[in-house]
Amino acid sequence: MGSAEDAVKEKLLWNVKKEVKQIMEEAVTRKFVHEDSSHIIALCGAVEACLLHQLRRRAAGFLRSDKMAALFTKVGKTCPVAGEICHKVQELQQQAEGRKPSGVSQEALRRQGSASGKAPALSPQALKHVWVRTALIEKVLDKVVQYLAENCSKYYEKEALLADPVFGPILASLLVGPCALEYTKLKTADHYWTDPSADELVQRHRIRGPPTRQDSPAKRPALGIRKRHSSGSASEDRLAACARECVESLHQNSRTRLLYGKNHVLVQPKEDMEAVPGYLSLHQSAESLTLKWTPNQLMNGTLGDSELEKSVYWDYALVVPFSQVVCIHCHQQKSGGTLVLVSQDGIQRPPLHFPQGGHLLSFLSCLENGLLPRGQLEPPLWTQQGKGKVFPKLRKRSSIRSVDMEEMGTGRATDYVFRIIYPGHRHEHNAGDMIEMQGFGPSLPAWHLEPLCSQGSSCLSCSSSSSPHATPSHCSCIPDRLPLRLLCESMKRQIVSRAFYGWLAHCRHLSTVRTHLSALVHHSVIPPDRPPGASAGLTKDVWSKYQKDKKNYKELELLRQVYYGGIEHEIRKDVWPFLLGHYKFGMSKKEMEQVDAVVAARYQQVLAEWKACEVVVRQREREAHPATRTKFSSGSSIDSHVQRLIHRDSTISNDVFISVDDLEPPEPQDPEDSRPKPEQEAGPGTPGTAVVEQQHSVEFDSPDSGLPSSRNYSVASGIQSSLDEGQSVGFEEEDGGGEEGSSGPGPAAHTLREPQDPSQEKPQAGELEAGEELAAVCAAAYTIELLDTVALNLHRIDKDVQRCDRNYWYFTPPNLERLRDVMCSYVWEHLDVGYVQGMCDLLAPLLVTLDNDQLAYSCFSHLMKRMSQNFPNGGAMDTHFANMRSLIQILDSELFELMHQNGDYTHFYFCYRWFLLDFKRELLYEDVFAVWEVIWAARHISSEHFVLFIALALVEAYREIIRDNNMDFTDIIKFFNERAEHHDAQEILRIARDLVHKVQMLIENK
Amino acid sequence: MSQTAMSETYDFLFKFLVIGNAGTGKSCLLHQFIEKKFKDDSNHTIGVEFGSKIINVGGKYVKLQIWDTAGQERFRSVTRSYYRGAAGALLVYDITSRETYNALTNWLTDARMLASQNIVIILCGNKKDLDADREVTFLEASRFAQENELMFLETSALTGENVEEAFVQCARKILNKIESGELDPERMGSGIQYGDAALRQLRSPRRAQAPNAQECGC
Repeated sequence: MGSAEDAVKEKLLWNVKKEVKQIMEEAVTRKFVHEDSSHIIALCGAVEACLLHQLRRRAAGFLRSDKMAALFTKVGKTCPVAGEICHKVQELQQQAEGRKPSGVSQEALRRQGSASGKAPALSPQALKHVWVRTALIEKVLDKVVQYLAENCSKYYEKEALLADPVFGPILASLLVGPCALEYTKLKTADHYWTDPSADELVQRHRIRGPPTRQDSPAKRPALGIRKRHSSGSASEDRLAACARECVESLHQNSRTRLLYGKNHVLVQPKEDMEAVPGYLSLHQSAESLTLKWTPNQLMNGTLGDSELEKSVYWDYALVVPFSQVVCIHCHQQKSGGTLVLVSQDGIQRPPLHFPQGGHLLSFLSCLENGLLPRGQLEPPLWTQQGKGKVFPKLRKRSSIRSVDMEEMGTGRATDYVFRIIYPGHRHEHNAGDMIEMQGFGPSLPAWHLEPLCSQGSSCLSCSSSSSPHATPSHCSCIPDRLPLRLLCESMKRQIVSRAFYGWLAHCRHLSTVRTHLSALVHHSVIPPDRPPGASAGLTKDVWSKYQKDKKNYKELELLRQVYYGGIEHEIRKDVWPFLLGHYKFGMSKKEMEQVDAVVAARYQQVLAEWKACEVVVRQREREAHPATRTKFSSGSSIDSHVQRLIHRDSTISNDVFISVDDLEPPEPQDPEDSRPKPEQEAGPGTPGTAVVEQQHSVEFDSPDSGLPSSRNYSVASGIQSSLDEGQSVGFEEEDGGGEEGSSGPGPAAHTLREPQDPSQEKPQAGELEAGEELAAVCAAAYTIELLDTVALNLHRIDKDVQRCDRNYWYFTPPNLERLRDVMCSYVWEHLDVGYVQGMCDLLAPLLVTLDNDQLAYSCFSHLMKRMSQNFPNGGAMDTHFANMRSLIQILDSELFELMHQNGDYTHFYFCYRWFLLDFKRELLYEDVFAVWEVIWAARHISSEHFVLFIALALVEAYREIIRDNNMDFTDIIKFFNERAEHHDAQEILRIARDLVHKVQMLIENK
Repeated sequence: MSQTAMSETYDFLFKFLVIGNAGTGKSCLLHQFIEKKFKDDSNHTIGVEFGSKIINVGGKYVKLQIWDTAGQERFRSVTRSYYRGAAGALLVYDITSRETYNALTNWLTDARMLASQNIVIILCGNKKDLDADREVTFLEASRFAQENELMFLETSALTGENVEEAFVQCARKILNKIESGELDPERMGSGIQYGDAALRQLRSPRRAQAPNAQECGC
């Protein structure tokens, strides 16, 4: 009976073992384990069966139908890890039940914790073993099981598997492996029909291993700009990198194929050590075949990350490229087989002990396959029917082809020496090892060569080969030297010319660097550590010291601190106005107050101006209302107020639309059009004028002619606004003449029409002061164009303000109102440009930080001096793209080539939003603050174009993902759009500063 | 494993545009189509955004690569560079805003001129759920659609009504045009590419049923 019980337990355990193996294999052969993988379901099932085995029935709650739930809930009371799982499962179940109704709020939640990724949706399979599954995916299943095994008496009968002193702990330790794996997020079936999201790409990348930057040596040298890792001089770094590389290489990836894998292969790494078990694997890449052996200590995830990287076992790990291996010695013993690799320099690698059961043979057979087509084993393995590959049967011990070794003497051959040969590729590949083989001929016992190889090769190669590769210059053993000398000379010439061209290319490259890039950075480097402490940033303490002792503080020193370490959040409010130029460093309190007073007065005045105008605009909308109403072809319910506004805007925006791109310039008919103007001013929006105008508009709006309903509707004042876009100079003049009487609107109208003349604008705006009340009283004080433009801009601003960062806590309705006020004030002063989408984005963080309308207004005006250049027609965007192109070309030629070849996205449109908004949409609010202040400080510290380096840092941060997924133009836009607000801003800034430094060094280093 | 393979398997890839005035709900339509959710915190689009999804149209798998553009006309110089080689477009207006409706002609001219000549356009009157604030009647818009040879639907990105239909109808029309020979996927700038699946079908001798366009695509 006892044995029957044991058999059941063993069977249960065996099932788990099998599933664990499956899942681990999946993890190795594919790059990740998908949460939907059937292996997970199977493993969960097997584990659940074990956990349920002989569960105590009488324990409270275990009578419940869902035993796993009962078990976990109960365990959760005493075991915190299990408690967390209970929590998670409950959440999941709630979500599964109430998915539909809570969809919206869930979405909102998700936005708040945007970094935490998506809330998983549950599939039916996931629900089946939800408890075990959740514990597995949370990576704590092993701990829970261990806890159960340790406290088995509480939950299990005596005969239970978990109560077994042997099986219980085994189960727990079996689950250690699967609990160390990464599982990719569960996806709904829908997702299979879309491309992988940016999150998934990043996750996959992380699973595959941290970035190993492999600048291929064949590529143009990166001019001393090396990968991030290599600059770290500490050997620890190198060891860690090597460890990572090794682990990564054990996984099958796109570049290499796993041909063979076997664990528990013993290696004796040192003389005085016991043999250590490890994982032997054979990897094939395009160019080479590599054997790896990794000690088990490194493979099972019991070591922490840092321990893992520093472990001495890394020294024992083997990596042997087969191009270096000349022969393989095999010994068959009762306990298995031993294999020794001998490389061309004669060095024997530590013997690999295979366990019993044909593993040695299957390894050889995999190796033989892997060597194909170029190489082969000599002698080849025999193929026997029914048995597959077998060792060759040799008639004599000292046969020509293979030689027995050492003491084994009688009967069938148990020891073999296989050589690796590359027939037909003698001179192209592995010239070195082939020569040896050739030289000594097949008749010599291979192992005798070992000590001879190194001396032998040079002479023999001369005699046997005319290949230039094999010709050593110091050769003295061959009498016929003439052709050889010629050969040598031609080689020398080639080498020199190659070196010359390389140098020339390098020089050209450098000159490109200097001409294109030298303007991008400051040439003098201001380091973070002289004086030290800049990377701590500008703290409250430093700032208060500065405020007490302004004269003795250098502006540059403060800026340096901002550049390297940012500003403590509490004092951002105070420091930003300095960075943006509202205040100047060194100003006394009094001076600052003066500046504030001036700005406040100005802001109040501007506010009053446009608000007065707004009143007129609204009034005009109301007055004109009946006229439009009658013209509606659709009599459905319409909010007349909105209708009126939108109505006018529509024509305006259409016309602007056309004139911007000069697609179809309207026919010049200005003189006629201008005439109705004064009439209209007398009584804007009366039905009479509207009709007159409408007639014009029909002629005028020729592009609309295909649209009868809209033609009916095409309106009114739009004509004038289209004219003021520059098609009718004559009209403008007339208009100015007609209005001479009122000083107020005149200049305003000019402002509108002469956007290129800011010098005029200011004084005239000043004149407006007097017209303030006047404007409020009299609608005629404004020109129609002005009213139209203002109406249009107000409408646009309203549209965007409403939807500006509505999830950010700051933007309550009153604060949105403030945002609108500041925005409108700015736009009122820049009506020539008008409101452009994106301006709200730039203003919002300023208002959030400064929380003061006047200050935000002033700072925003300062900020826009630089930023307005990026907006359409500003011209800066193209310059940015061109600079990005040069920088990537110089700093990361591999990526540059990839970009070039994938549909040429070197026009860099994927950076458009980055530059337009100074990365505001790419980052979370707190990060926007941090990045912005560095950009502002960088102007004085390292580069006026620091945004370029941030952009470059973003590209570099994901370069492996971009490269490995071979992203094209659309992929990369999609990737970065999805990646928004998920970046590590501090890391990006760090990379950006490094990049600036690299370019500085590059320019320095003439 | 087959699932991973499936995501790579489609017969055609169509490039789509979503165009129309600012605030008409272009991004929300795209989001609803791809995620089946209403994006209630949508911000105005800067530059261009993206979505892609594989749909099944009459037994063919079509991958739609959808480019969502900024609406403000000021950005047109930027967005127009994305027009090239689009096979289909959703031309969106807001039924509660006549302004957006009146701008349609311009968008239309633009799309026809800058994208491919044969671009298939579906007119979408979005925000159907806001019927109380309607400013553009269904009749009026459908007349406009007829006159301009557009397909027409009224959609709601909020409720999801007709959203999928808009994309699918547009894709279906393109497929029909391919099958009737009216559209040649092989032509440069058609906005259509063969997917792996189609190529595989072409190569495999057993499946002689290659897309019709193949035969007449000479």
